[in-house]
Amino acid sequence: MTENVVEFRKATKLYAGVPAIEGVDFQLRRGEIHALVGENGAGKSTLTKALSGVVTLTSGQLFVDGVEVSPKTPLEARHLGIAMVFQENSLVPTMTVAQNLFLGQEHFYNRLRGIYIAAQQFLQSLNFDVPPTTTVGLLGAAKKQMVEIARAVLHKAKVIIFDEPTATLTPEEKAYFFDLVRDLKKRGVSVIFISHALEEALLLADRITVLRDGKHVVTDDVANFDRAKIVQAMVGRDLSNTLYGTRKSTVRSAGERILSVQNLKMAPMVKNNSLSVFAGQITGVFGLVGAGRTETFKIVSGVLKRDFFHGGEVLLRGRPVRYRVPAPAVKAGVAYVTEDRKVEGFFETMSIARNVYLGLLAKFPGGRFILSNRESQQTGDNWISRLKVRAISPKAKVVELSGGNQQKVVIAKSLTQEPDLIIFDEPTRGVDVGAIVEIHELINRLADEGKAVVVISSYLPEILALSDRILVSRQGKVVEEFSALDATEEKIMYAAIH
Amino acid sequence: MTLKRIGQQEIVLGIFVVLFVAFALFLPGFATTANMLTLLQNVAVLGILGLAMALVVIGRGIDISLIAALAVPPGLVLQMVQDGHSLPVSIAAALALALVFGLLNGWLIAYAEVPSLFTTLATGLFLAGLGQAALFKLDVVQWSEGMSGFERLGQGSLLGIPTPIIAFALVCVVVALLLRQTRIGAYIYAIGDNPFGARVTGIPSRPIIVLQYVLAALIGCFAGLVLASSVNSMPTRIFNSTMIYDVILVVVLGGIGLSGGRGGVFNVIIGTLLIGTMLNGMTIMDVSYSGQNLIKGVILLIAVIIDSFLNPRNEETAQQGDI
Repeated sequence: MTENVVEFRKATKLYAGVPAIEGVDFQLRRGEIHALVGENGAGKSTLTKALSGVVTLTSGQLFVDGVEVSPKTPLEARHLGIAMVFQENSLVPTMTVAQNLFLGQEHFYNRLRGIYIAAQQFLQSLNFDVPPTTTVGLLGAAKKQMVEIARAVLHKAKVIIFDEPTATLTPEEKAYFFDLVRDLKKRGVSVIFISHALEEALLLADRITVLRDGKHVVTDDVANFDRAKIVQAMVGRDLSNTLYGTRKSTVRSAGERILSVQNLKMAPMVKNNSLSVFAGQITGVFGLVGAGRTETFKIVSGVLKRDFFHGGEVLLRGRPVRYRVPAPAVKAGVAYVTEDRKVEGFFETMSIARNVYLGLLAKFPGGRFILSNRESQQTGDNWISRLKVRAISPKAKVVELSGGNQQKVVIAKSLTQEPDLIIFDEPTRGVDVGAIVEIHELINRLADEGKAVVVISSYLPEILALSDRILVSRQGKVVEEFSALDATEEKIMYAAIH
Repeated sequence: MTLKRIGQQEIVLGIFVVLFVAFALFLPGFATTANMLTLLQNVAVLGILGLAMALVVIGRGIDISLIAALAVPPGLVLQMVQDGHSLPVSIAAALALALVFGLLNGWLIAYAEVPSLFTTLATGLFLAGLGQAALFKLDVVQWSEGMSGFERLGQGSLLGIPTPIIAFALVCVVVALLLRQTRIGAYIYAIGDNPFGARVTGIPSRPIIVLQYVLAALIGCFAGLVLASSVNSMPTRIFNSTMIYDVILVVVLGGIGLSGGRGGVFNVIIGTLLIGTMLNGMTIMDVSYSGQNLIKGVILLIAVIIDSFLNPRNEETAQQGDI
């Protein structure tokens, strides 16, 4: 038995000649929790994909238990004892927990009662509070993750890889998840933990490895790291002060009341929600997952429909509005910048310029029946320079950009519509550290220009760094309001937890 | 990357040239003027239908009911003229029928949110049944006196070029301009690329989807008029034929990805030329009807497989029931 359960030596993976990881050495010890951090595109995913058989290395060696291997499919990796826990999409939602656990291992005669009993015993042995007869689709994110973990343990995994496991979890669920991971460690399982949340890495991990631009930067015990040191290693420069560190000393005063929401209802997510948004300041909306923040603002911007009866009122500049689709909301000056840019954000086969131009066309169709390539080009160039989108050319397809630059394109597409009310939903999710700073500067500039800005975020430092006024949402409605001057993390969290 | 740029459409174009030259050299009766005219006429109707299909497929849909739109409204023209109505009134009635049909398709798909494959499967059957049960007296609606002059749409020629080819070229130009140069075209590509994104951006997605199916039905109706005037009748049983497979073959083989947002008119043209040449060659070689179906089936299968490799579906924006 070697000390290292997994070892990469000089691992390199080229995509179309471009290295995603280059000469990476990485060791995972038996029974340790190892956090893998780095900016987007640093190579964390590629490294773990190579381990879990999703991709194969171009060159370099991979040892599992001291034996050189090269898993070519996830199934081969599973036989080596390596399991990857995806967010939630590898479960069959219409099947029960027990059926999911034993999926692929059923006997020819699949006796449900038998697998329910086996699943019950197994889940109890792990101390997981999940009823085996529940349909997976009805479970929350945390419970789904438990089922995933249970399945990995059932498959006798020696190494479990978690890719951004806490992104969809509430703080309580996170705490529970951390306990689960520590419990796995006690069972001798080694854990690789990929996360953008550095606090979590510092809290949970035994060792931390930082990757940057596909190269290994540093691996060390967690005791030798602090937040600033990790950030510095990630980006190679000291950003910790400008990023989230500074607290506001002054707040912008409220201008005109742009949006007023009264008793808004949409079953089951939004319950009697009332709030106001003012021009010339940033209204931060904090809440745990399931607090109905996104839904409330999707109703305001017409992406979702509220209840037909007793749905409450939405007043835009004092005038009642009811948008059934986003188009009239866009025309009225409401822009919603989505939290999920791949699904609701950009057009992947199109150029940056065309993406932004489509936003312009949707708001100001004017007399434009025939399109002008020159106008498209100008619009693209203009916004690329204003938002500092880094791309080879305006003709580059958006799908080829990094997360931060994609987010900038999505923002540009909305800003070109000259909105008065801009709703940013998780504006820096999946965005690299450098781009976070730029996006935050942009949001501040918009408020200075007198726009009404809403920032929905699950990340307290982001809320505190940006907001002039903080609304805390809990179980479908806003329950508390703070001025940024007297808000603290403790106060906000206290209001947000049920 | 550069390899992908010369990709599918150039390959299909190359295959077409090779096939055409081979047929011309080795197949007696292929390179005759008479045969070229038949080929081009068949190709023209197929090509016009392919353009209608392309409009819908680029917007991430599919229209299986195109053959019904091809057969029934033009059949109605012939039937009404036979029954003594004037030609303009009959054509107006047929266009109105196609318009209503397109609106029905579009409304069901965009507003009732029924997947396009199932919607058009059902509405096509409905329209064909309606035509055979309520509108037409015979399966083949015959040409009548009142139609005289109209056959020039299918049999005439302008500057030596047969009119069906000119009709195809005309629709090509109109659709190309619509797709590439107008706001509506940009919207169609946006909806095909990412329907949720298009919606959130404020693009009026649903009216645009309705418009796609209306245009498809109208273009289908036009193709039917060309077909009817070139054979001097409307064989409405064409609905029961395998023609819709040819249309899908044209679109997919030409390189318009079934996942939406990709391709254009040029892809339809090369797809049409290839399929037209192939069908014509097989007919001259006296390949049996079933034999032709077998070959077409294999080619469609290969084309769809290649398509799903070259243009993989975007799992994140895919909807259940999407083609």
